[in-house]
Formats: sequence, C-alpha cells, structure tokens
Amino acid sequence: MGNVKLDRLTKRYGDADAAAVDDVSLDIERGEFMVLLGPSGCGKSTTLRMIAGLEPITGGTLSIDGEVMNRVPARDRDIAMVFQSYALYPHMTVFDNLAFGLKRRGFAREEIDRRVTDAAGILGLAPYLARKPHALSGGQRQRVALGRAIVRDPKVFLFDEPLSNLDAALRVSMRNELVKLHQRLGTTMIYVTHDQVEAMSMGSRICIMQDGRVAQVGRPLDVYRHPANTFVASFLGSPQINLVESGVTPGEDGRSTLVVGGARIHAHCPPGHSRVIVGIRPEDFYLPGEAPDDAVGASLAARVLAVEALGAETVLLLDVEGVEKDVTARVGRSAHTAAGDLVELTVDTRAMRLFDAASGVALDPGSTTG
Amino acid sequence: MTTSIRFDLKHGFLVVALALYTAFAAGPFLWVASMSLRTTTEISAEPYALPDTLHFSKFAIAWTDGNYGTYFGNSVIVVLSAVAVLTVIGAMAAHCFARYRFPFRRFLYFLVFSTIIFPPQITIIALFQILVEYGLFNTRTGLVLAYVAFQLPITVYILESFFARIPSDLYDAARMDGYSEWEIFWRISLPVAMPALSTTVILNTILLWNEFLYAVVLITDDDKRTLPLGIQKYMGDQLIDIGMLATGLMIAIVPVVIVYVFFSEKLIQGMTAGAIK
Ligand SMILES: Nc1ncnc2c1ncn2[C@@H]1O[C@H](COP(=O)(O)OP(=O)(O)OP(=O)(O)O)[C@@H](O)[C@H]1O
Ligand SMILES: [Mg+2]
Repeated sequence: MGNVKLDRLTKRYGDADAAAVDDVSLDIERGEFMVLLGPSGCGKSTTLRMIAGLEPITGGTLSIDGEVMNRVPARDRDIAMVFQSYALYPHMTVFDNLAFGLKRRGFAREEIDRRVTDAAGILGLAPYLARKPHALSGGQRQRVALGRAIVRDPKVFLFDEPLSNLDAALRVSMRNELVKLHQRLGTTMIYVTHDQVEAMSMGSRICIMQDGRVAQVGRPLDVYRHPANTFVASFLGSPQINLVESGVTPGEDGRSTLVVGGARIHAHCPPGHSRVIVGIRPEDFYLPGEAPDDAVGASLAARVLAVEALGAETVLLLDVEGVEKDVTARVGRSAHTAAGDLVELTVDTRAMRLFDAASGVALDPGSTTG
Repeated sequence: MTTSIRFDLKHGFLVVALALYTAFAAGPFLWVASMSLRTTTEISAEPYALPDTLHFSKFAIAWTDGNYGTYFGNSVIVVLSAVAVLTVIGAMAAHCFARYRFPFRRFLYFLVFSTIIFPPQITIIALFQILVEYGLFNTRTGLVLAYVAFQLPITVYILESFFARIPSDLYDAARMDGYSEWEIFWRISLPVAMPALSTTVILNTILLWNEFLYAVVLITDDDKRTLPLGIQKYMGDQLIDIGMLATGLMIAIVPVVIVYVFFSEKLIQGMTAGAIK
C-alpha cells in the first residue's frame, strides 16, 4: 500500500512549448482508488507514466510513501501497471507472463507457483496457464494483464484505460471485478480513463484534467453536483449539462433574479456579476406532476423538438423561448409528449449551478439554494 | 458451376506455371547432381545422360584428395562465426536504433546503411591493406571480420525495421516487471524478433557460404580456404575437370539446401511478419 504524492508535477516533451502535464498536484491516499479523467490528449497517460517511472519528470516532485521518486528507475518503484494494449509477452505462456516479474525479483519457485496459481484462480485463468497470448480472447488477455500486476503485490497499481478494448458487456463486468479486486486487495490504485461512467462508478475520488492541468479533484458525486467550472460540468454527465447564459438583476438580501429565457429564477448569486452561466442538469427538469414535493421550482415554458424514449427514461430536446441553444431534459419514462408539444417544465433550482460568464469558474459552489 | 470451372482453370494454370518454374529452378541442380556421380569421361561422351554406375567414391576423393574436408571445415567455422557475430551485433545495433532516441541517431543510421551502396570491389584493396597491417591477412579471423563488416548494414536494416514495429508497451511492461535495458534486449527483443532473426541468419548464411571475392583475395593458404575457392581448384587454366567440379559443387550446395529447408518456414514468417499484437 502506498501514498502517492504529486507536487507541481510537470512534463514537457522535447522542446515543445506547451507542457503536456502542467503543475499537477495531487495527494493520493493509501488504499485509494483515484481516477484520472479527461478528454483525449489532456495528459492523463503522461501523468501515469511519470508515476510509473517510464517518463522522465521535467519539474516538480513525485513521492511515494514520503520518499522522493523522481530519479528512481521504474523497476525500483514497486509499482505495477496495466496497459491499454495489455502488452503481454507474445513469446511466453500465460504462466510465464505472470511469473516474469516475480522471477526477476528472485522469488523462490514455490512462491512463484503459489502466487501465479492464486492470481489465476481469482481471475479465472487457471485453464489457460499453458497457452500463449495469441490463443486467448480479448477478455482473457485483459485478465492476464491484470494478473501480471496482481502477482507482484505492489505498493501501487496503475491502469491506463485497461477496459477500452473490450466490448460493452465485458467492460461492465470487468468494471465490477476491478472494484471488487480493489476492495479485496486494498491497494492504492490509479486509474486513467476518458469514460465518465467508469470514473463515476469506480473511483473513490476522481481527478478531472484539462490541457495538462487539474480541473477538479473530489468524490465522484461531489464533482458531479458541484463542478468547479463549466468544463467539468459539461464533461461529466450524459446527456450533457445545459449551460445557459443569463442576466442577473440583484435583489435584496443577496437573492438575485436570473433571467433564463422567459423565466425569472430567484437564486443566490455573489454580488458583482451582471451575467452568469446557469448550469442545469437534464435530470433536474420535471414535467408537471413529476417534481418531488420538496423541489424548489421555477417554471419554464418550452416546445418539444424531439423525443428520445430510451425505455428507462425519456430524453426531450427542447426549444426554450429566448434561449439560443437547445435544452435537453431527462424526464420519467412514462412521459407522454410528442414533438411539437408545448410543455411547462419545473426546474429544481437547488440543483442549479452558476458559473462566471467570462471565466466559466463556478460561483460559490454548493450554495445556490433559494 | 461456372465458379468451380473457373476455379479449376485458375488452379490448373497455377499448377502448370509452378511446374515450369520448378523445372527451371531444379533442372540445373538435378543435372549437376547427376554429373556429380559420373566421371568426366562419361560426361564428355554424353553430357545429359543419367548415371550408368553411381560413382559415390568421387565424393570421398574430393573430400580427401581434393582437400574438400578442410575447405568444408573452414567454411563451417568462418560462416558460423561470422553469422553468430553478425546476428548479435546486428540485433544490438538494431535494437538501439529502433528503441532509443539519442543524438545523431538518424545520422549514424544513415552512415551504417550508406555503406551498402559501395560494391565490394571498391573496398577490397583498402581492406586488404588494413588486414595486412593488423596481421589479419590470410587468417580466418580476418575473413570473418570482413564478412561481418560487409553484411552488417543489411542485417541492421532488416532487424531495425522489425524491432521498430514491436509495441513500446511491451518494453515498458518489462521495465515495470523489473528488467534492465540489457535484460530486456535478451528476454524480449530477441525472442519476439525470432522470425526476423531467422531471416537474417538464413540470408547471411547462404550469402557468406557462397562468397568468393573476399575469400580469394584475403586467403592464400590452401589449408585456410573455404569451399567456393576449393571448387575453383578443379578449374585449371586449360582444362576443367567437369565431373569433379560437379562433385565439389554438390558438397557445397547440400548444406545450403539443408539450412533453407530447416529455416524456410521462419524465413517466410519473417518476410511476411508484422503480426505482433
Ligand atoms: N512521446 C511524446 N512526445 C511528444 N509529445 C507527446 C508524447 N506523448 C504524448 N505527447 C503529447 O502530450 C499530450 C498529452 O498526451 P497523453 O498521452 O498524456 O494524453 P492522454 O490524456 O493520455 O490522451 P488519450 O486519452 O488520448 O490517451 C498530448 O498533447 C500529446 O500529443
Ligand atoms: Mg492515454
């Protein structure tokens, strides 16, 4: 088990102007499942590879259990990594793939046998130990890659998009197995993905990255409910959050009036803003009669442009008077609406988030309650 | 119906074409093989006839009287050493060119590879003098070194392009598993590149086994000669002992055929490789 601390970690490739990873600070606690989440090219893999020791660190310090690791070679860091491509040794059997790292570390034969058998048991690989990787299915290869990390019993596990090559069903089941594995081993895990569902469902905390920087770190639901800026807000959640620019009319005792389309919404808004971006998640819209009793609502008139009945829920694409962008709402599955209908939606204003119109930074996150 | 007829036609055409090619390629070989068992007198009388009596004793004569035993031994020693050194050095160089970024990498690679454009005739005199200077002239070691130098660029070229295709994750995985760069070379690069290594081994073996020019210039002692020089022995100024020449040729050819048969599957794998996932 290990505590991994990134202190202003920076990576610049060659003589590139922009840093691939820029001033990233992150304190990952022992036993934590930390997910690095972000769009393609935001520096997730680079960060992970610096932790692994596969990529030299340009600036800042990396420490594991209090020990500075910047100059420690990968093989002495006691870290195991699972690669997106699995990176199985093609010329070795599954057994040898699992045992390769142990052999190097000088374990006795019996100990190697025991560990490999254990890991193979956990991962259901026992029948394939004598096979070479080319004779395995994608899912089985994935397990071998996982097993290779498990047998080492390292301080820290690193995963770089390990599930992205699996089909949807397998991905879901592997997701659950990884979570179980984490609970069972209790080892620190750092997991890179660009899939928000993986991040939300697996991480004890998630770290959202944008252009090489940390945009926000926090528990999945906290980040989801209180995004630090519009980037985080729109990156998490599907369908995406609705971001609508709105004017602000200050009122008495800190309650201002926001004008969203034709509707006037009362909300707390820190003084000094004449325009804000209002973020409303699709699930915070309610059709008449659907709103929970304690919802603090504002009403919004809209015309339905399209209806996507997904079974478990219905997604409406709406045209709101005075709002340029189409608005998405996620309503109950029993909604009887058709394109062209005029509907009166209730917005739960407690769940509404306000962002600075210019910078996109959240205004006083968590206290828009009216 | 039509498809199967068309298939049969295509198939038949292919068989005829391959048969013609086989006759073209194997004909001379069989001719030499049959001559190797006939005496020169028999051959002059009737060049294309099949052997009447099989004179296997000609092989023994060539081997002992013709000193072919010695030539054969020299060839084996020289070619095996050269190929072994070539494979190890070539693989190491290729590994570095393919896997590491270092200053002047492209320039060095170009430098190594550019020597391929010089025909051996250009370098032979300089090489001769260098070897004389270092006391390596007329030694098998000298010949081995010349062979290594001569075949290294193409060896590096073939191996580099193969090593470059090995996914870098594989190396990273081995690093995470605790292996040093040196161990990774031996335990990952070499085994994974087996098809490419076989290609270079077979290519170098065949080429050097038949090599004549360097051998004739750099070796003067009869006891240090390799097989291609031995064959020449039966070609006098005025007269060619065609029967013994054929016997000598067979002694020289058979090992090559054996090497090819043994490695050919790997060779084809190596040439069509790229399927490492
Ligand atoms: N070896 C390299 N040399 C130069 N630039 C690189 C190298 N590797 C990555 N980069 C650059 O660094 C930035 C971050 O790359 P990185 O691979 O860390 O992104 P990522 O978040 O893992 O993206 P993805 O989700 O696509 O894997 C990118 O702009 C990329 O072009
Ligand atoms: Mg990546």
